[in-house]
Amino acid sequence: MSTWLTAADDDAALEQLHADGCTDGLPVVLPTASRVDRMLVAAGIDRELVIGEMGPLGGAATVEKIAIAAVMAGCLPDHFPVVLAAVRAVCQPAFDLGEMQGTTHCIAPLLIVNGPARAACGGIASGFGVMGPGHRANASIGRALRLAMINIGGAHPGVSDMALHGTPAKFTFCIAEDEAASPFPPLHTSLGYRADQSAVTVVGVESPHSVFFTGDADDPQSAERLLDTIAKVIANPGSNNSHLGGTAAVVVVLNPEHAQVLAHAGHTRESLQQTLSARAVTPRATLAALNTKMLMGTGDVLPAVRNPANLHLLTAGGPGLYTMVMPSWCAGPHGNVAVHAEIELNQVCAVPWVRQEA
Amino acid sequence: MRDGIALARRGRPALAFVTSEFWAQGNFVAQASGMPDVPRLELPHPVAGSGVAAMQALALRIRDEVLARLAGT
Repeated sequence: MSTWLTAADDDAALEQLHADGCTDGLPVVLPTASRVDRMLVAAGIDRELVIGEMGPLGGAATVEKIAIAAVMAGCLPDHFPVVLAAVRAVCQPAFDLGEMQGTTHCIAPLLIVNGPARAACGGIASGFGVMGPGHRANASIGRALRLAMINIGGAHPGVSDMALHGTPAKFTFCIAEDEAASPFPPLHTSLGYRADQSAVTVVGVESPHSVFFTGDADDPQSAERLLDTIAKVIANPGSNNSHLGGTAAVVVVLNPEHAQVLAHAGHTRESLQQTLSARAVTPRATLAALNTKMLMGTGDVLPAVRNPANLHLLTAGGPGLYTMVMPSWCAGPHGNVAVHAEIELNQVCAVPWVRQEA
Repeated sequence: MRDGIALARRGRPALAFVTSEFWAQGNFVAQASGMPDVPRLELPHPVAGSGVAAMQALALRIRDEVLARLAGT
């Protein structure tokens, strides 16, 4: 059971939550018993059910505690199934949540939503400004996971979250794939889900790095140039991925125009994974000249992505000149790989009054 | 810190080296792991990248204490 706090009024309650380190520094929706209850009623799941253990504190992520985080983040009950799935995903041992929260690197969990949940869970944006402000579901869902990581996982800057600089992505980082605009099958189908299932894929990554590319329909080498450009950003010689053995997942978010350029050249997701992984390499001598220590891997050429399956490609954002690459941490016992979980929509109850009052 | 905790859990002599900048994190991890008293030694920060001479000097400075604490004396 959670410990319920009391305060003289709403302002005092908010200030107390800030003072106790329970927020991300921004105001939160006060998690009153009635608000948490509404979230739980809509979810229709036992509030004491433990979804997992969140490090580094090792707190038990009960459905109730996750609901509290969701309320604080501003979630609607419609968003809650995605939050639950995201917590279930990051609690998988392969995610190394405790180590990830404690690292000095600037890593944050990126949530990628696929399937019917994109519409059913509050309309998760996948187009213009997909990684930026203005999208309530994206902002609230990503923030709910962060608040769970703070309050259940115990991540506090300089004490248990040792990121030297942190990243704005630590406030919230949730997107949906633009499945309608993508020429490739939805990302989650490459992970074993059916297209009619919903899933959240979670990858610990840096903030997005922009890839500038101007397509040219008259240039038969257009796709090749685009691939070379993306590969050079993936193999940024200053990144962990280049130096630490290329074990980690890397995310490439193609804008719809760039995705079409690659599809028209005959590429599939699998061929793109293979091609980009093969090209995203750096000569050992180049890296050794930059960092004399901490250079891992063997051979004269070091890959930024050793296993092509760890290169996750999807389509999102507005159409235009930019694709995004998210490098990663490339450390931890499991090497910073992606995890995923099904978003269970069938457990959500329709409670009309919830939507009106939330 | 986690390595030290893992060794101590197995009943092996263990002493975690924690630099001053990460001392608070070490305490947090020890508490969260249910081993608040796991042996640890505070080192100046940084050690990594400080150069061979500085590391050798530090090793000499802490050697006797490390051996004594591992021996349980």
